[in-house]
Amino acid sequence: MSVDLHLTVGTLRSYNKIIYLLAIRLLRVHDALMASPLITPPTPRPADLHSNEAFQSLIENLADYAIFVIDPAGQIASWNRAGEQLTGYTGQEVIGKHFSLFYTPADLAADKPATEMRRAEREGQVESEEWWLRKDGSRFWASVTITRILGEKNLLGFGTIVRDVTDRRLSDLRYRLLVEGVQDYAIFSLDPNGVVTSWNVGAERIKGYKPEEIIGKNFSTFYTPEDRANELPKKVLGTAASEGHFVGEGWRVRKDGTRFWSSVVVTALRDDEGHLYGFSKVTRDMTERKQLLDAIQQHARELELRIQEREESNAELEAFAYSVSHDLRAPIRAISGFAEALREDCAANLDDRGLDYLNEITNAAHRMNTLVQDLLEYGRVSRINMPLQTVSLLDAVQQASQQLGDQRRGSLEIDVAADLYVEGHPPVLTQVVLNLLTNAFKFHSKDTTPEVNVFAEQRNGRIRLNVRDNGIGIAPQHHERIWQVFERLHEREAYPGTGIGLAIVKRAVGRMHGSYGVESDVGKGSTFWIELPEASASKMGESKEAK
Amino acid sequence: MTKGPVLLVEDDPSDARLIQRAFGKVDTTIAVFRLTNGDDVVAYLSGESPYENRTMYPLPCVVLLDIKLPRRSGFEVLQWLRRQPSAVNRLPVIMLTSSRHSVDINRAYDLGANSYLAKPETGSQLELLAAQFQSYWLALNQSPDLHGNASRLQRG
Repeated sequence: MSVDLHLTVGTLRSYNKIIYLLAIRLLRVHDALMASPLITPPTPRPADLHSNEAFQSLIENLADYAIFVIDPAGQIASWNRAGEQLTGYTGQEVIGKHFSLFYTPADLAADKPATEMRRAEREGQVESEEWWLRKDGSRFWASVTITRILGEKNLLGFGTIVRDVTDRRLSDLRYRLLVEGVQDYAIFSLDPNGVVTSWNVGAERIKGYKPEEIIGKNFSTFYTPEDRANELPKKVLGTAASEGHFVGEGWRVRKDGTRFWSSVVVTALRDDEGHLYGFSKVTRDMTERKQLLDAIQQHARELELRIQEREESNAELEAFAYSVSHDLRAPIRAISGFAEALREDCAANLDDRGLDYLNEITNAAHRMNTLVQDLLEYGRVSRINMPLQTVSLLDAVQQASQQLGDQRRGSLEIDVAADLYVEGHPPVLTQVVLNLLTNAFKFHSKDTTPEVNVFAEQRNGRIRLNVRDNGIGIAPQHHERIWQVFERLHEREAYPGTGIGLAIVKRAVGRMHGSYGVESDVGKGSTFWIELPEASASKMGESKEAK
Repeated sequence: MTKGPVLLVEDDPSDARLIQRAFGKVDTTIAVFRLTNGDDVVAYLSGESPYENRTMYPLPCVVLLDIKLPRRSGFEVLQWLRRQPSAVNRLPVIMLTSSRHSVDINRAYDLGANSYLAKPETGSQLELLAAQFQSYWLALNQSPDLHGNASRLQRG
């Protein structure tokens, strides 16, 4: 019997009723001891506590609980073994003394014993935690419950239960210091309805409320009006209650109305029997990280947009180039066509000077046509989708030499092994080689016979194709600028051309992940070279993307 | 039946004149009828006003078709022609254009062009083209019957 009760007392956190019953029983014991009838018990239960002896024995043996009665004046009227163990005082030493002897000087100065008694008298019961003094002057953190005991007309006294909770106090203290001191996290607790019950420094820092401003208010205050309208606070607590915790991110509102991006963990707090008694909430201000992420996403979107715009502008350029090729060439055709018609149909009416002028017209028209064609080619090489594939270098060189036509004079020697493969775009590579060959045959003084030599070398995973001529050569100070568009070193009368050929080589080789260069000096001929990544023949047909 | 004229569809007057001159130099008997936009070609080939009179406006034996044309492009004309329910859809069409774009070349053949020629840059090249055109399309090539209904074999 006593064991059962002991268990009940030990496990039930809200033991108010038990205390009350105990207190009443206690007074009965007291009453029996004092031989003066004091009270009638208001509650008949529990039925198994009828025997005074049994109850007295229970009180005596309740380890850890100092249980005693004080009279309306505050004088101790009973004592038990736990009281002795807890305080070091025997019953003889304390009975008849005022219970304030357990209080610290500070609490005495604050008139705490009398205050607690008055409150218990007024409210029925007072629960408090405070330092109590032992007989030897040492302290323990006491959990004290003082319960009013009323007779039919007057106050009879108080039942007092005291327990040493120093250990819990210390761990609470450590925990509280830890939690309260955390700056970067808002850590606070909520009751089951979401009312704030504790508040740490981090919470104050992040959310802007002082503890006294927010404790007692509902945590839905932290949510945006939209989230409140959607009952998000309720859903958060619902999830935490049903699943143990809620984890999420979202916008929350500070006291000053500004918003911050928070990362939140809400954990349901349950007692040993599983009853929900509240929630703990840990909130972290992730605004900076959120802004960073948003900025990154924004950049990504802008980049996509720019790529899209570039593709669009490429398409526009393509349309423009098309238009140029169609519209600009029509009048050129007309000029050269009618110049020829004039020469054929009206030659009888033209003297030598007239025929000479006609030649100028025809030549200019031809030049203009070449210019448009080269510009289109330059633009095309810059923009076209250029899937790279394994190309036989010898094939490219041979195709280019076939396209040379009447530009080929003198000798052309090709020394390129048939098993050399590079990564390139076949038609563009052929165009590049053609441009180099054209130059090699073009830039000669009238009295030399061109000797052009094309040869290849393997160099560290790349293949260099050299085009060497015995022509007029290029002074070193011009080696850079010859690769620019419209750059010409010679007047047109000496060497015709648009000044675009090498610019096309530069652009095309660059897009094929290659490099280019020239070794030359005046009067010593020139060796133009391009270098492209070597490809193995086995990869024939596989394609990559050009720059 | 006598052979119809060459229908030259060319909006650029200089090009048209030079082409006609080149044909004249090859063979003065070649009849060339010129139209300058896509809509007129459709009206001509379907015998709509003002081309109802087939004596004055006989069906051509071949069409020389530019791509870039006012109102209706050469491609649109070609597409329209090949979808006609009458036998006129057999009419040989030769693209004659300044575009050397592979995109344009492939599209022309996809739409049912019979040949694709790029406009030459010089007068002598144009004369060569005119001579070869004459000997192939006007002399060698056998013309289809353009009257009556389209064959059931016609392309969709």
